[in-house]
Amino acid sequence: MEQMEAGLPEFPCGTEDWLTAARAAALCVAFSPDVEEEQVADEARSCYNCRYRRWSVDSITCCKR
Amino acid sequence: MRILVSIDDTDDLESRGTGELASLIAADIETNGWGKSSFITRHQLLVHPDIPYTSHNSAMCFAAEIREDALDKVIAHASSFLARESAAGSDPGLCVAAIDGLAAPDEIMAFGRRAKESVLTKDEAYAAARRLGVHLSEHGGTGQGVIGALAGAGLRLGGNDGRLKGAIPLGPPGGVVSVADLSRRKDVDAVRTLDGRPLDGNEMVRVGEKVKTVMLEGKAVLLVSAAAAADGPAWQTCPRQQLKRY
Repeated sequence: MEQMEAGLPEFPCGTEDWLTAARAAALCVAFSPDVEEEQVADEARSCYNCRYRRWSVDSITCCKR
Repeated sequence: MRILVSIDDTDDLESRGTGELASLIAADIETNGWGKSSFITRHQLLVHPDIPYTSHNSAMCFAAEIREDALDKVIAHASSFLARESAAGSDPGLCVAAIDGLAAPDEIMAFGRRAKESVLTKDEAYAAARRLGVHLSEHGGTGQGVIGALAGAGLRLGGNDGRLKGAIPLGPPGGVVSVADLSRRKDVDAVRTLDGRPLDGNEMVRVGEKVKTVMLEGKAVLLVSAAAAADGPAWQTCPRQQLKRY
């Protein structure tokens, strides 16, 4: 989350750090929910559910940064 | 005749999703009187640095029962629809497979499984489509979406991959419903535990948020897990996080 807040695109916590992804999204002004079928986190506001995240092998990248 | 319609690579970060375009094509089949469409499944393909994709690399597929004389119309309509409605800069692909006349069902299913594990090429996809006798076409950009489109059809035909598009409307979270009542729904074919065990009709399930089904053995299966609370029903619907791997 700290890297996301600092403006770096790589989410440093992998693909299933649900709490951190929710906290990061709560602080993000660019968050926008992806379509329902692409949402995977239970928290509605989560970087994992954001239309601007791009999945990579080990993590996600924020395409708005 | 029974067909599968599968599409991929139609969107960008700002556009409508591929699932919505699949929904619109499915609805058009019915509106035009060509046949009856079934539910849409989302199939996760390999995420790899060598594969171009917008954000998640997933294909969308649905089955339809259509009139024999409607196949060419469906293909023509879906083709022009994708060319017109896909996002600028996307690489849309379309696969339409007539299931009953499929030359080698095992091969298209194997192609789908391979697309989840390895980097495939357009040439491989077109060669497989020719052997199989299925329609495969590209409708903009690089046309890279033909790989995912063919893979999506194969995974749907295999019947053991993907989540169904849309949530099951079971009322507010916290409610309790019996397995028998769940099984009577048109949008739920079976109720099973995460390890695959079917439940008796009299067992009770607590409803969570955003209840979804997954495709297993060709059915829309509602998966449940052991309830977190000690009192109340023994089971609860699986949260989205537990369905991520499907």
